[in-house]
Amino acid sequence: MLIPHPLLGLRDAQEFTYLGDASLLNRPDASSPDAAVAFFDYVYLRDNPAGVHRELWFHEQGDRSWLIVTRNTLTHEILNAELACESAVKSEVLA
Amino acid sequence: MTDLMAITALGAVAPYEFQIGGLVIRENTELALASLSLGRGQGAPTILGTSMPDVGQWLAGPEVSAFWTAPNQWFIEGEGRAHEDFAAIVKAAAPDCAVTEQTDGWVAFDVYSNDGFKPLEGLLEKLVNIDLNGFGVGTALRTGLHHMSVYLIRRSDTHVTIMGMRTFAAALCHALESTAVRLR
Amino acid sequence: MTRLTGGVIDHETALRFTFNGKTYSGRKGDTLASALLANGVQLVGRSFKYHRPRGVLSAGSEEPNALVTLRGGAREEPNTRATVTELFDGLRARSQNHVGPLHRDFMAVNDLLSPLFASGFYYKTFMWPRAFWEKLYEPLIRHAAGLGRLSGEADPDAYDKGFLHCDLLVIGGGAAGLSAALGAGRAGVKVILADEDFQFGGRLLAETHQLDGMPATSWVTAVMAELAGLENVRVMPRTTVFGTYDHGIYGAVERVSDHLSAADGAVRQTLWRITAKRSILAAGATERHIPFPNNDRPGIMLAGAMRAYANRWAASPTRHPSDPVIIFTNNDDGHRTATDLLAKGVPVSAVVDPRSDAPTFGDYELITGVVDDTKGRLGLTSVRVTQNGQSRWMPCGALGVSGGWNPNVHLSSHHRSKPVWDDALLAFVPGKDLPNGMIVAGAAVGQGTTVKALRSGVEAAVSSLAALGIAAEPIDLPDADDTAAAQTAFWHVSRKGRAWVDFQNDVTVKDIVLAHQENMRPVEHLKRWTTLGMATDQGKTSNISALAVMAELTGKSLPETGTTIFRPPYTGVTLSVLGGGDTGKHFRPTRYTPTHQWSASQGATFVEVGAWLRAQYFVQPGETHWRQSVDREVLAVRSGVGLCDVTTLGKIDVQGPDAAEFLNRIYCNMMGTLAVGRVRYGVMLREDGHAYDDGTCARLSENHFVVTTTTANAAIVYRNMEFARQCLWPELNVSLISTTDAWAQIAVAGPNSRTLLSRVVDGFDLSNEVFPFMACAELTVCGGLRARLFRISFSGELAYEIAVPARYGNALLERLAQVGADLGATPYGTEALGVMRIEKGHAAGSELNGQTTAQMLSLGRMVSEKKDSIGAVMSRREGLAQDKRRLVGFSPIDKSEAIVAGSHLFTQGETRNTTTDQGWITSAAYSPHVGSSIAIGFLEEGDARMGEVVIAANPLEGREVRVEVVSPHFVDPEGGRLRD
Repeated sequence: MLIPHPLLGLRDAQEFTYLGDASLLNRPDASSPDAAVAFFDYVYLRDNPAGVHRELWFHEQGDRSWLIVTRNTLTHEILNAELACESAVKSEVLA
Repeated sequence: MTDLMAITALGAVAPYEFQIGGLVIRENTELALASLSLGRGQGAPTILGTSMPDVGQWLAGPEVSAFWTAPNQWFIEGEGRAHEDFAAIVKAAAPDCAVTEQTDGWVAFDVYSNDGFKPLEGLLEKLVNIDLNGFGVGTALRTGLHHMSVYLIRRSDTHVTIMGMRTFAAALCHALESTAVRLR
Repeated sequence: MTRLTGGVIDHETALRFTFNGKTYSGRKGDTLASALLANGVQLVGRSFKYHRPRGVLSAGSEEPNALVTLRGGAREEPNTRATVTELFDGLRARSQNHVGPLHRDFMAVNDLLSPLFASGFYYKTFMWPRAFWEKLYEPLIRHAAGLGRLSGEADPDAYDKGFLHCDLLVIGGGAAGLSAALGAGRAGVKVILADEDFQFGGRLLAETHQLDGMPATSWVTAVMAELAGLENVRVMPRTTVFGTYDHGIYGAVERVSDHLSAADGAVRQTLWRITAKRSILAAGATERHIPFPNNDRPGIMLAGAMRAYANRWAASPTRHPSDPVIIFTNNDDGHRTATDLLAKGVPVSAVVDPRSDAPTFGDYELITGVVDDTKGRLGLTSVRVTQNGQSRWMPCGALGVSGGWNPNVHLSSHHRSKPVWDDALLAFVPGKDLPNGMIVAGAAVGQGTTVKALRSGVEAAVSSLAALGIAAEPIDLPDADDTAAAQTAFWHVSRKGRAWVDFQNDVTVKDIVLAHQENMRPVEHLKRWTTLGMATDQGKTSNISALAVMAELTGKSLPETGTTIFRPPYTGVTLSVLGGGDTGKHFRPTRYTPTHQWSASQGATFVEVGAWLRAQYFVQPGETHWRQSVDREVLAVRSGVGLCDVTTLGKIDVQGPDAAEFLNRIYCNMMGTLAVGRVRYGVMLREDGHAYDDGTCARLSENHFVVTTTTANAAIVYRNMEFARQCLWPELNVSLISTTDAWAQIAVAGPNSRTLLSRVVDGFDLSNEVFPFMACAELTVCGGLRARLFRISFSGELAYEIAVPARYGNALLERLAQVGADLGATPYGTEALGVMRIEKGHAAGSELNGQTTAQMLSLGRMVSEKKDSIGAVMSRREGLAQDKRRLVGFSPIDKSEAIVAGSHLFTQGETRNTTTDQGWITSAAYSPHVGSSIAIGFLEEGDARMGEVVIAANPLEGREVRVEVVSPHFVDPEGGRLRD
């Protein structure tokens, strides 16, 4: 596969390390009363859709950026790729 | 000046050199390196007259060169300055930036062609999975090579530097040499 | 000799070769198959199951029969298709799958036993008795199975791999591929044109078509000359594109020197990974045969192949020039073979065509009927022709069979695109949802006439470029033939006798009938029950015919019956080329420590630790067993001073105003409170609460820390830290970079370590007051060399780790050994390191195995309650928090006994099963300090069971050791030594 790196353009997927569901960005607040439940969900309960999936890829043999890649797991079509740090900052602003 | 004797990344006294066909592969043991990272909100500095190049670029300056390695991060190169405390020099020029000594983190192989880019192209397409169409002079990138991580810098039409992690030097050297031999 | 005139071979250059030991002469441009045919050799091998004599069937990579073994010795190459083997001077080939000479195969008795070997034979026959399977049936089947044999020796040849990138990949260099490549090439985009053949032109070389009134070969030559002159076009002959992968990635094998008699060490084959923005599949078509009784004799050949041998290779298919040829065809195209052969002076006695309205194209007898039997044990002598119920035997030396053409859709269906049935073409053509960026052109999409192939190639090129945003003008094409070959749906001759469908697997019409009877009707079942379509040719000449027979039996249409889709590879790919050029010790890269040279000079034995090669122990004169070396090294450290390269531990530079806060969140224990100039031990948890790495963290200045990781986890810890920095807390102002390789780090351990170090530092005060346990500093050594010094201890002794720029590591280690000779300075390796850390009860990889918690390591109190950190919340959940297993030490009751790591722990007198299991031994060693075997491990409530005797059971070896539960700190439990 080819990953459309937002800074570097199309790069072979072999340069990347795959992590999984991008919901890992949403780490729960450890100080909240329901932290134990929230962390259980965060660590163990993730969707595994046959279809469009936002997932984390690390450009290990490249610029060491973590990317959020939106990929259709049925066709391997890649719909979007963005820097995770930008997305993480954005979601913080929204919250 | 220390009385300890430095050795090359390949464990030798003299730098490695290998010539075959139109290609020369030469280890550059005198290249000083320091990484420079910007803190949040900082602007890119100018180091000894060299400004920090754009994404994926390498830029030669009067005293030092620099290439982009990651968002807000560059490697600064000091040719012939491997025996100096190069990181301290860079840090002095950019006191607010995070500077890390990298000189001995890497082994640098300069590959020269005596016949334009073609022989280099022939070598690189056997080694790295990058589109050489987009690898013009002044390009710097990181990619995988035989399961190792390398930086590639296109310094001129006929000169490419391949940098690998120092402890992988022997394996990288073998990859370059054996591939060059197989090209004939 | 049955060599004809003309063709695209070099009649002036003779090449000598041997087949089954006999020497023949071929011509430059021949394949092994064409050279054999030109020498009148029809019999080239034996079939897989029945050992039937077989000859060349095809003229391409679809060949099921003509599989030979090339070369000899370690270079022996079985199952090579003679039809694509480019002839070279000195080529040696021999036939396969027979016992005794080819013409008198002793295994041919299988043919007489054929009723026994019907489809499903293996499944039915080798069922009972069950015990026979492993000892008798399987070895027997394995012995009989397979065609050629491997040499069993290591492959001595050189292979290579590489990566190519282009705008347009054109797969196939026939009429469509050439016009596509030319169209795109002239537009200036980067084009790769690949063909499996050694000559470009495809069927244009095999036909007598004219282009612009000239032989097609003239046009091919002109196009190839133009392409060669275009910088942006890379022409790759002998290159099989074997697989389509995601996002425009293709796998290809280039046979670089297979065709050279003296390769002289040159690369034999290269594996290419081609990344193409667009691709055009112009792979042509493969002819079908028509199954009829005894249709597998040498001399029976596809009609199109017969034409290719005559036109391209100037070889007649018969053994003798005067032997007549007969054609059996259900379409006009087959008639072309008759006219072409006649034009070459080959006698053609008849064309047999089942169509009542079949036209005549030349001066031959047209028989409206079928061929329904043949004779000739080792080569065809006559065929039986039946017309209107009347049969007659007609002598002939070769029979050309044509059942129509199947587009080569393979690469278009590698992403599960299902081919669709075209009623007009009587063939499956590429369907919807083709691989991204792929267009299929020419005969591969049923555009088989010369004009249509040329035109569809150009159109595909224009469309491909348009998709890239480039407007390209269609190029002018030569005038050519555009007559579609009429055909009829005639799939097989239904008569008594065995009619082969799949030659390579010896599957007949009867086998398909049987499969149908046994309800193995879906295509997938049919294939597995009969083995149809398996092995090296993957059913290229048989799949569709088999489907048609099944369709007839089920009364369904062909598309209803199903079709097969394809997986890579298109044709066989050798494992050697997939392995690339690097084998043996270069199979994967090795990392050397900065002190490797000196260590080697001191007698070090090295051990692989991941990619690293580390000194395991240093054998000194007189030492004959590794334990002697290791015990000596351990005692030397504990009584004097030892030196060990610890560069392999990961080092990560952490800088920035928020570095302290960041590390607080990374480590489960407090790190932000660490004072400048101090080091702290830290444990990292996974988010699920289990411990995954430990190491030290040094604070060099307010905003500058150096984190060390275990050797194994260096890359993983860095990756996780970047995840935390970029994805979890991008608001923190911190930067990370690895510095593992930049510094050579040497452990200097033992009571004399301070004295030794004082001899190399430049006026640095090493006293306990100024530089106590867990201190760190930047300083200079050996006359001005910048260095970092950490007072940390893995062995439990007074110890330091000193780091210098890697290029000086070797010299520093040598210097320390020299100036410390009087102090007993001794280099030690990973074994002694391991023994000493077990003696001290330090956790390492065996303890941090991903299943253990900080509590189990007796580090539970380290998990700070005052802050959040990765894994902190989950470490407090019930299951983990209540885990009562604790890391403790074990000492054997009988001091002569050795404890084995991995042993499970049980209470004395208790039955032993998983419910009574009390824990396990993680690490064990002989301790020269204690004078016996010692161990550490996890034991239920271990910390409360000191002094209890438990059983360390090793049921694998049928052994058990009684052990006493003791403190895991066998050396200096109070820790006085490392603090003095």
